[in-house]
Amino acid sequence: MLYKIYSLGLFLLFTAVAAICLFYTLPAAVVQAHGVELEYIKRDAIEVTARYDSGAPMAEAQVAVFAPGSPAEPWLTGTCDSDGRFFFLPDPEITGLWEVQVRQAGHGGLLRIEVDESGIGPVGSAGFTGLQILIMTAAVIWGLIGTALYFSRRQPE
Amino acid sequence: MHIPDGIIPASVAVSGYAATGGLTWLSLLGIKKQFTNPRNGIPKAALLTAAFFAASLIHIPIPPVSVHLVLSGLMGVMLGWFAFPAILVGLLLQAVMFQHGGLTTLGINACLMGLPALVAASIFRLRYLFGKEKPLPNAILAFIAAFLAVAMGALMAALLLIYAIPVYIDISAERTAVLALSLAHLPIALIEGVFTAMVVLFLLKVQPALLESEKL
Repeated sequence: MLYKIYSLGLFLLFTAVAAICLFYTLPAAVVQAHGVELEYIKRDAIEVTARYDSGAPMAEAQVAVFAPGSPAEPWLTGTCDSDGRFFFLPDPEITGLWEVQVRQAGHGGLLRIEVDESGIGPVGSAGFTGLQILIMTAAVIWGLIGTALYFSRRQPE
Repeated sequence: MHIPDGIIPASVAVSGYAATGGLTWLSLLGIKKQFTNPRNGIPKAALLTAAFFAASLIHIPIPPVSVHLVLSGLMGVMLGWFAFPAILVGLLLQAVMFQHGGLTTLGINACLMGLPALVAASIFRLRYLFGKEKPLPNAILAFIAAFLAVAMGALMAALLLIYAIPVYIDISAERTAVLALSLAHLPIALIEGVFTAMVVLFLLKVQPALLESEKL
């Protein structure tokens, strides 16, 4: 009789020890998560918009973000949404020139964004406006027409 | 077909420059053979370079992508040996002015567009076999030359891009996008074929001397 009581006591003791061990080894959040604390802070994210020079968005284009100092290994990869937009939050600890490469079917471009202690650099763009393109095209075509006129002038005999 | 900087590995870019060097040398030899005074070919080459330069700004939306005119076939048909250096200059200007293409990829882009132009030139030379005054063979040869030039360029670009997909990119998505872009060049090839045939017919009527590629 006494033996039975002892063995029951021993069994309860082991169970208790095992339970305490389990309690402390399980990830704390699983066992202790009775309440939830949510908080938020305001951070500056970067929105990249990728368009072809025809104006059409680069929908579903692939994006690779390169942190400063590691131009070979992308820090983050992802895809643009259907409007050619891509959001990401650079690590504020890594300051320097971040590079965002957007590519689709061999078309693509590289955007450089300055991130320093005070935050993300000014809004930038890698393209030209329509008027700039028009003037540049006209200048180049005029140069080529000039070349043609120069070489088609009458040769002195 | 204009591959920008940073898309292809450096080894491919360097090989592109090497091939472009060789093709330029070959073209200059051809020009030397064809012209007693190479200056006589420059006005036409300069004007067509202007057309080539501006053509890439004309976009034609073919969902889901948007493609632009290339005019490599027209360059080959009109310029013969002058086509390759003319395309090289046009591409340099596009890369420097608009970042359309790139300086590191200038060599590979010149191959992608210049080599088909030389093929187009040799196809169009067949008109001396079929009668160079007859409009129909001229138009058909011009169409075939320009169609093949665009198709060949698109095919070469697609093979190169699929070969050079970096590991961090979703390979199947990029492959699908490349194939879609190549297929979108078929209508462009048709348009350029018809356009080149029309230009040739027009010149045949007005100024047939402009189409000559015999010794000048």
